[in-house]
Amino acid sequence: MSEDIVKIKGSKSGLQLSFAEDASYEVIRDDIQEKLASGSGFFLRGTLVQIPRDVFTTSEREELQKLFHEHGLICRTLSSDTERTPSAQVRKDVRQEQQEIRAESARMQAETQKAQEMVVVNRTLRGGQEIRTESSVMVCGNVNPGAQIIAGGSIDIRGTCRGMVHAGAFGDNTAFIIADHLVPTQIRISNLIARSPDQMEMADRAERASVKNGQIVIEPIER
Amino acid sequence: MSEIYVITSGKGGVGKTTTTANLGMGLAMRGKKVVLVDTDTGLRNLDLLLGLENRIMYDLIDVTEGRVAYKKALVRHKKFDNLFLLPTSQVKDKMSVNPEQLVKLCDDLRREFDYILIDCPAGIEQGFKTAIAAADVALVVTMPEISAVRDADKIIGELGRADKENIKLIVNRIRPQMVESGDMLNMEDINDILSLDCIGQVPDDLTVVTSTNKGEPCITMEDSQAGQAYRNIVGRIMGEDIPFMEFPKEGFWARLKHVFSK
Repeated sequence: MSEDIVKIKGSKSGLQLSFAEDASYEVIRDDIQEKLASGSGFFLRGTLVQIPRDVFTTSEREELQKLFHEHGLICRTLSSDTERTPSAQVRKDVRQEQQEIRAESARMQAETQKAQEMVVVNRTLRGGQEIRTESSVMVCGNVNPGAQIIAGGSIDIRGTCRGMVHAGAFGDNTAFIIADHLVPTQIRISNLIARSPDQMEMADRAERASVKNGQIVIEPIER
Repeated sequence: MSEIYVITSGKGGVGKTTTTANLGMGLAMRGKKVVLVDTDTGLRNLDLLLGLENRIMYDLIDVTEGRVAYKKALVRHKKFDNLFLLPTSQVKDKMSVNPEQLVKLCDDLRREFDYILIDCPAGIEQGFKTAIAAADVALVVTMPEISAVRDADKIIGELGRADKENIKLIVNRIRPQMVESGDMLNMEDINDILSLDCIGQVPDDLTVVTSTNKGEPCITMEDSQAGQAYRNIVGRIMGEDIPFMEFPKEGFWARLKHVFSK
């Protein structure tokens, strides 16, 4: 039954959602929430979700976008091909935003690409240098003190990490950070922050930082 | 085949100008034709270290703005007539020269000189960008001190952004005793962070102070430790006509330790 309220279709750029004609917004929202909470394999972190533009009002759309965002998904609206008969309220919105659609779709294209790529940095990041991306990052080199990585996804450093690293910067709690030597000035995952102890000892194994029970935990890993 | 070196550091007071003066003189002592270009406009010091302040007639700004030919602004050294200084202005500021002007000047100097050493100002602003614009090789000077190493790291990043890939490291003002007792960063700590090809390790030496005040770089002093270290660097620079020369770590260090433990 609930299968029919929200239909998920995989497309080249991400997931495309369509909704049962007669379902109310509240029902749709609850259904999406349930699907997200169930941790279905569909909703991988960083996936682009597209919802038809003219089905919801602006405020409803914003609420949905927030919902997806909390689960690490990127939500974009899409002008649907089959023109439905929108309510007066919606029609007004559509007219207002009609001009923006073209600009947004270009922007969307760029972001879609970003979300799916993994940024590979093939050098040492030195003090003052910064990587800022919505996707995951792999660094083949060191991250020196004063350098910053801010990634929407996870961070993998094949070298020593001494800088500031922020994984899951857009709210992804499942993001993690791996480094051969993990001695950063600060680790941030999602909205959690951990700083290094004042007396740092160097572990001789690769380590992984992730969120467990609302805390950033660092544990040695085999690599 | 002339080469343009820029001596830079980011942080002030680590010995850029001292290094420039010593290397310049060392190369001149080996019979090379050398010109030292001071780009620290407004805070010029290189002329003092060489003892040439009273001979300056024109400066870098006069040359780049086309008032005089560069040959007129060059100051010949008192002792070595194959060593020249192109001083900068003490009254203008760093905005007076732009990178294109310096590149053009260095192209002219290239025809005449074997080595062109550019003394870079501290910082990462316009003056730095101008100074590195023409360089083939960057010599990054640092000290075994956390702030100097951080700034060197930043500078190396900036050099990379300006497509300067040939970067060498000189560690200046090392106190071997403090390094041995663990109170000072050792070469391993520095290499861990900077991971650069090191071509010089210069001990902290009182003769540097006296030689600076006299206007005679310590490389001319036979009994100066720092002078010996600079002579070694000059040798390495000249050996680098063959690329990928390894820095001989042993020998020098063993000798140094030996002297200090007496």
